[in-house]
Amino acid sequence: MAVCIAVIAKENYPLYIRSTPTENELKFHYMVHTSLDVVDEKISAMGKALVDQRELYLGLLYPTKDYKVMFRKLHNSYTVVMCNPFYNSGDRIQSSRAFDNMVTSMMIQVC
Amino acid sequence: MSHPAHRRPEYHKINKDLFVLTYGALVAQLCKDYEKDEDVNQYLDKMGYGIGTRLVEDFLARSCVGRCHSYSEIMDIIAQVAFKMYLGITPSVTCNNSSRNEFSLILDKNPLVEFVEELPAGRSSLCYCNLLCGIIRGALEMVHLAADVTFLQDRLKGDSVTEIGITFLKKRDEKKYRRKK
Repeated sequence: MAVCIAVIAKENYPLYIRSTPTENELKFHYMVHTSLDVVDEKISAMGKALVDQRELYLGLLYPTKDYKVMFRKLHNSYTVVMCNPFYNSGDRIQSSRAFDNMVTSMMIQVC
Repeated sequence: MSHPAHRRPEYHKINKDLFVLTYGALVAQLCKDYEKDEDVNQYLDKMGYGIGTRLVEDFLARSCVGRCHSYSEIMDIIAQVAFKMYLGITPSVTCNNSSRNEFSLILDKNPLVEFVEELPAGRSSLCYCNLLCGIIRGALEMVHLAADVTFLQDRLKGDSVTEIGITFLKKRDEKKYRRKK
């Protein structure tokens, strides 16, 4: 289960970011930002090697449990949001209840 | 669907997502072009009318339906043959009045709205699928049946179902039915 889920635009700003414990929210924002560097490293490491078009999941940035299924669900929900004709690329993802519900199902409940 | 020998052979399929995205782009562009929902609805209906007058020929060539003898037979063919052929869904038909000229199509699923969760803010009277109403109206008119076709209920507007109302208008003798849509 996740404590924070974020969707980042290609210009490196967040389209959607949500975390469960409300204190230390800034900590998660920083973490997401630093992880962007790791993502860049991984992508440039793939480089000339055969890039499997379907395997967009880069794997774990830091070694912990496997979250492939979760990322796939997240990506599918994201593509549905993108396909909404009234959603413009670069908008914050704020009116999609289905996306919110999907994220809620992935976040751990911390009381 | 089976393809008996006397039907037209070609039946090219396209990707459903491409079709749904194209329709969405059409509606989104109309929304950018026209401020009022009524204008967008009207233009969708007009476009649909143009499509319907042409689509009916394709339908009659492909489906080989026989002569219809009542409005309810026509409704059954619209729901079970035409909708199935073009959108892959089979809405159910209800008759709304005793004189049997007002009917409804209840759409349980609607592939056109697959990616639209709800209408955008400020567009609460938009009939997103109004193209369908125009198509049905245009098709019926080409077989000499005048009808009013509108959305009576719409899931996108918060209703529990999507319902298209078709009211056949009496233009000629009750007895004279022509070959349907």
